[in-house]
Amino acid sequence: MRRIAFLLFAATSLLSVARGETRPRYGGTVRVMLQAAPNTLEMPTNATPTEYWDSAHIVAMIADTLVKTDVAGRAQPALALAWQSDMNGKRWQFTLRHGVKFHDGTVASTATIAQVVGSLHSNWTVRGAGDLLTIECDAPLTSVLAELALPRNAILKRNAGASPVGTGAFRVTDFQPGRSLKLAANEEYWAGRPFADVIEIELGRTLRDQAIALELGKTDLIEALPQPPALNSGPQRIRTSLPVELMALAVPANSRAQDARVREALALAIDRKPIQSVLLKGAGDPTASILPNWMTGYSGVFPVQANIPRAKVILAESRQPALILSYDPRDPQAQLIAERIALNAREAGITLQVSLSGTVDISLIRIVLPSPDPATSLREAARELGLPQPLIHGNSVDDLYPAERALLDAHTVIPLIHLPVASEAGVRVRNWQPGRTGDWSLSDIWLEADSR
Amino acid sequence: MDGRWSGSLRIGWLASFIFTVIVSFVSAFFPSLASASVFGDTARQMAHKIVAATGPGAIALDIANRSSLDDKSVREIRSALEAELRTEGVRIVKADESMGSVAVTLSESVREYVWSAEIAIGADERKVMLVSAPRPQSGVGPASAMPLVVRKSFLFAHEQPILDAALLEMSGGPRLLMLDAGQVGVFRQQSGRWELETSLPILHLRIFPRDLRGRLLLRRDHLFDVYLPGTFCRSSVTSPLALACSDSDEPWPLTADDGGVRAFFAPARNFFTGAFSPGIGKVSNGPSFYSAAALPRSSYMLWMLAAVDGSIHMLDGMTDQVIRGAKWGSDLATVHSSCGTGTQLLVSENGDPARDRLRAFEIPDRDPIAASTPVEFDGPIIALWAEGSGNGAVAIVRREDTGWYEAYRISIVCGN
Repeated sequence: MRRIAFLLFAATSLLSVARGETRPRYGGTVRVMLQAAPNTLEMPTNATPTEYWDSAHIVAMIADTLVKTDVAGRAQPALALAWQSDMNGKRWQFTLRHGVKFHDGTVASTATIAQVVGSLHSNWTVRGAGDLLTIECDAPLTSVLAELALPRNAILKRNAGASPVGTGAFRVTDFQPGRSLKLAANEEYWAGRPFADVIEIELGRTLRDQAIALELGKTDLIEALPQPPALNSGPQRIRTSLPVELMALAVPANSRAQDARVREALALAIDRKPIQSVLLKGAGDPTASILPNWMTGYSGVFPVQANIPRAKVILAESRQPALILSYDPRDPQAQLIAERIALNAREAGITLQVSLSGTVDISLIRIVLPSPDPATSLREAARELGLPQPLIHGNSVDDLYPAERALLDAHTVIPLIHLPVASEAGVRVRNWQPGRTGDWSLSDIWLEADSR
Repeated sequence: MDGRWSGSLRIGWLASFIFTVIVSFVSAFFPSLASASVFGDTARQMAHKIVAATGPGAIALDIANRSSLDDKSVREIRSALEAELRTEGVRIVKADESMGSVAVTLSESVREYVWSAEIAIGADERKVMLVSAPRPQSGVGPASAMPLVVRKSFLFAHEQPILDAALLEMSGGPRLLMLDAGQVGVFRQQSGRWELETSLPILHLRIFPRDLRGRLLLRRDHLFDVYLPGTFCRSSVTSPLALACSDSDEPWPLTADDGGVRAFFAPARNFFTGAFSPGIGKVSNGPSFYSAAALPRSSYMLWMLAAVDGSIHMLDGMTDQVIRGAKWGSDLATVHSSCGTGTQLLVSENGDPARDRLRAFEIPDRDPIAASTPVEFDGPIIALWAEGSGNGAVAIVRREDTGWYEAYRISIVCGN
């Protein structure tokens, strides 16, 4: 009897332990679905946020940048191991990593990398000699590290067939433009071979298609609608980033909303909270600033509360023409949000007609804030929004706040919501840890043993 | 830039308890001391900017906290700010008695604390003043030791992955050796902290695999050896301390004893191939495995292997007994103690990446029996190696909240 009891206890001791945590396993095919359907493997220009993120995910798998940035905007080594600049920041010198090869087997020499970087920045003089890459510019390059970390600066050279060739963790084995992409592990990757053998990406799949495929076990990794913060912890498999997109109203130069009072009154009339809590189902943060609080810490000084009485006072008795508010029809939530804004505007005495035709007076747009470095994201936002480039000398609040305030003072841009991006992994995927700033790293994921 | 040591301010193992007591005493009896010194300068800057906008006089001051600061810190900041404002000639009064209002918001970004002051004086336009202060690295302090059979003692924290660590006695006091992908750091204890004494770079030609593993073994005739996938390093015998590394496919020792069982490590992967040299008794080939632990028997050694396929293998030199469905983790280590059978098997066991656990087992015959309650860690255990002395083990944990890596010494104590 004691023997039986002992064996039972022993078995219980052995088996009652929770699900086993093991080291990462090598092998297997990770199946991915993306919304965008790119025809090239490079970062597109004038891309929608979806196109931007999906291309960024692909480029990050096949290519490296010289440096990376962490969530605090600090530069971390990638193809470059070290760097230094002269006193005024006009000359930067990078020490490159030894022994890195492109997927076609050629050495990633400083000369080749200099050629690639130089072709991306016509106003830079880029030279490579020995281990050193030198970048020079007439103006101080204050945010050069954050700039070099952007996906558009990934080191991709063109092979004889004009296809881009990178140094990344995965190499392209088959690309059907707009349809599918197949990648294989780069056995000689400088940061270590990725755990998965193969990545198969289906392009051009809607969020709904992706969700169904994941539910049916037909894919492993998909894009997802962001979750409210309260639902963004615990064992669920949706991972939501920090807010890395801005939804805003933009007033083009040829708009009939030339009267600054109209734009200011409109900014005051919009009740952002219902847009976030109802239309966006709690995802994102209402905002009146371009940069999110996690980047700057000061977004609270831009008030988000609607103030209809004040809006009416500003408009006084002026007569304003009816304005056309357009939106991106590819964004499934955009029309409802635009209609909600028109409703708010009407309360203040502004007539907004939501339409996709006619001369656009105001656009509801969504842009990417691509860098955790606030100065870089502010410059990018200004470019996307058609605003003058801000003069920023550093990343202190004393540098950033006046620059951002200056961009917003004319109310030609009315920030509405800061939005995160999200992804969801299937049950057989382990170690899915997308970056807090929206980036993906498929090199580190691995598959359950019994799923290969 | 790779692998730089930035953890020299971490609290050392031996001093951690004393330090904790001192900190607790200071916190209990001088509660405002720490934060006052941190935020005093920031409060002074804020007060100066406010007064530059308002001039001396009576203002209404409101402070709102939208940061991760606790209530106590907010109270101390309020006190500091009010004191600084009074020094600059400002009186804090009720709104209806004031010439203007100042609304201070305590906020933060991922990099720093940011305080804003929105100043409204009469009908003038609202002015905004901002100041910032760096945020401390959060959550990298020592975790509290649990009074359990399996005891963990915090050694060190580091931003880069730690592969192994070892404590050793040397002339001039104890040293902590810390292995990462780029170097072996030698730390000396000074004023209760491990301060970097020297750093020995690891020069290697082979590309290290992802999920890099490494072993740091103390030696009698020289200071230590380092085993990395496809690379072997040996420290110098004489001063000054140096490290010579070369490509090597030599098998890694599975025991501290230099003449013991060795196993070949796959140079581009994260596991042992299963080939032994010398073998375990008559067994020279086993399954590919992540870790191994030896349990002494009267006439042989029982080896436990955590195989790559998730099974546990027991090798006694003659047979290979497989246990499937054990649901153990992939890290095993043997620890000797004065308790129970004298030898316990440490097993990592959890599937929750946020809370990993270590538990001690005894194997009196062939059936493992849990011998302790588990000790928890704030993240997955990424390495577990037995110490050279055999009396403890070193566990490396990647904290889920900060992403930093922490080294712990694991030992077994009798009873609760």
